Amino acid sequence: MHLGLFEGNHVSDFLQCNQDVIMTLAILCRRAFSDLRQNFCAQLITTMVVSLSILIFAFFTLLYFNLQHFVDRFGSELGLVVFLTEDTPKDRIPSLYQKLTGLSEVEKVTYISSEEAFGRLEKFLKDEKEVLEGVDPQFLPPSFEIQVNRAVFQLKRIKQLAGEIDKWPEVSKVRFGQEWIDRLYVFSGLVRTIVAVTGILLLFTAAFVVTNTIKLTVYARQEELKIIRLVGATNMFIQGPFLVEAFLQGLLGSSLALGVVFACYRFVQGLEAKSELLRGVNICFIPWQYTVAIIASSVLLCVLGTVLAMRRSLRL
Amino acid sequence: MISIESSIIRLKDVSKKYPPDNVVFSGIDLEIEKGEFVFLTGPSGTGKSTMLRILFCAERPASGEIWVDGVALSSFSNAQVPYLRRKIGVIFQDFKLLSNHTIFDNVALSLEVIGLGKKQAEQRVMQVLEGVGLAGKTSHYPLQLSGGEQQRVAIARAVVNRPSIILADEPTGNLDLQRTEEVIMLMEELNARGATIIFATHDDRLFENTHRRVLRLLNGKIRI
Repeated sequence: MHLGLFEGNHVSDFLQCNQDVIMTLAILCRRAFSDLRQNFCAQLITTMVVSLSILIFAFFTLLYFNLQHFVDRFGSELGLVVFLTEDTPKDRIPSLYQKLTGLSEVEKVTYISSEEAFGRLEKFLKDEKEVLEGVDPQFLPPSFEIQVNRAVFQLKRIKQLAGEIDKWPEVSKVRFGQEWIDRLYVFSGLVRTIVAVTGILLLFTAAFVVTNTIKLTVYARQEELKIIRLVGATNMFIQGPFLVEAFLQGLLGSSLALGVVFACYRFVQGLEAKSELLRGVNICFIPWQYTVAIIASSVLLCVLGTVLAMRRSLRL
Repeated sequence: MISIESSIIRLKDVSKKYPPDNVVFSGIDLEIEKGEFVFLTGPSGTGKSTMLRILFCAERPASGEIWVDGVALSSFSNAQVPYLRRKIGVIFQDFKLLSNHTIFDNVALSLEVIGLGKKQAEQRVMQVLEGVGLAGKTSHYPLQLSGGEQQRVAIARAVVNRPSIILADEPTGNLDLQRTEEVIMLMEELNARGATIIFATHDDRLFENTHRRVLRLLNGKIRI
């Protein structure tokens, strides 16, 4: 029998030379993929748990952004109506028009003369326009309809703008559906808070579920880790493959979840084009920065979960 | 009397206790020479396994100092322990093999952790498996082997990275007489090639007619 052993190297020499042995990324990935093959079911379950947790969170995020998008769009479409005093001379109109278009918050200004306003009223009344018989077509005040620039749309700014225009001597009244916007903002603020709180709770739940699922897979392999430690594996050798696996679980799990959310978004978009009811809703997807942040958080969550779950396994 | 220069393992006033006040052993002074084969014996529960666990740093002593090949174990940080373990081969009664890995992979694990090249590792694993008579079963899984064969795999794993010290913790505890003799012969062979061996057993028959030193652990003290 020949075992070819024991060249009599000293522990001290051995320690010195082996400090230089660095586990390469290639070995680490090879071990990780070998583990993935051997524990495929456990890895798949963990990835699905990550995916489901992120899926629920991503749906809430999508809801949040669409609500915000809707409020912003609805608010900006309301615009302002500036009514002029009856005694405003006609020659002042062009200069007022110029003054309004010069404002940075204003995108478009349309002048509605008294006659035009009367015509609109007649159209609105349809068959009952007889009630206007004998009424002076000049009885309605001339006005300017202002479309606010969407890029600078903010309720506070619109209120401020309305207040400023209202002080002009030629202006009798400025209307901008303040009551509607106020109600809409209170409602959307409430929904936003609910969505944000639920989202945070979901995030914590996801973190808890993911960390514990990883813990279970680590515990299931405690004996194996003990044996690997016995033969002289460093912490990096033991933990490295788990970290690579966690990285892949986080990346695949979140990508899959966002893929499902994106597919749903495209489906609703398709319905939007076909359905009269949904037309104009203009559903939007989660901004790409947030998509990247969700994937990064998922990866971080899985990696941190693994580090926490493995703390006990890395003791002597 | 063994000189300090030639001793590969040295214990000075070593004691071990578990909370709250369970003293396993205390005041142990011991020196083991390079290339020596010693039996560590004593009834079950006297601390044989604990002694071995302290030697490969799975546990720390409550007090005292231990030197392995001239290096004090107290100077080892937890991060350095794996490097010490690569120098010590450990064999257990329950084999401690990875059941979902092949025999080849179980033995190769010891070389993988030190980053040995694939080709070199393959060559060395085959050489050692041939040495323990299992060259034909490299692709088998541990549970497909008999107890004696599994123990031989464990021995192959313990020696494949050429350790100078082998700690065997009741390696024949689960084996019949014939398999026990095979293991003893393997140990003798390893010792003849220069390995220092500490063989823990409670079976007196294993060292009845031996010329080897027998360390008896009894009531927390070592008697030679």
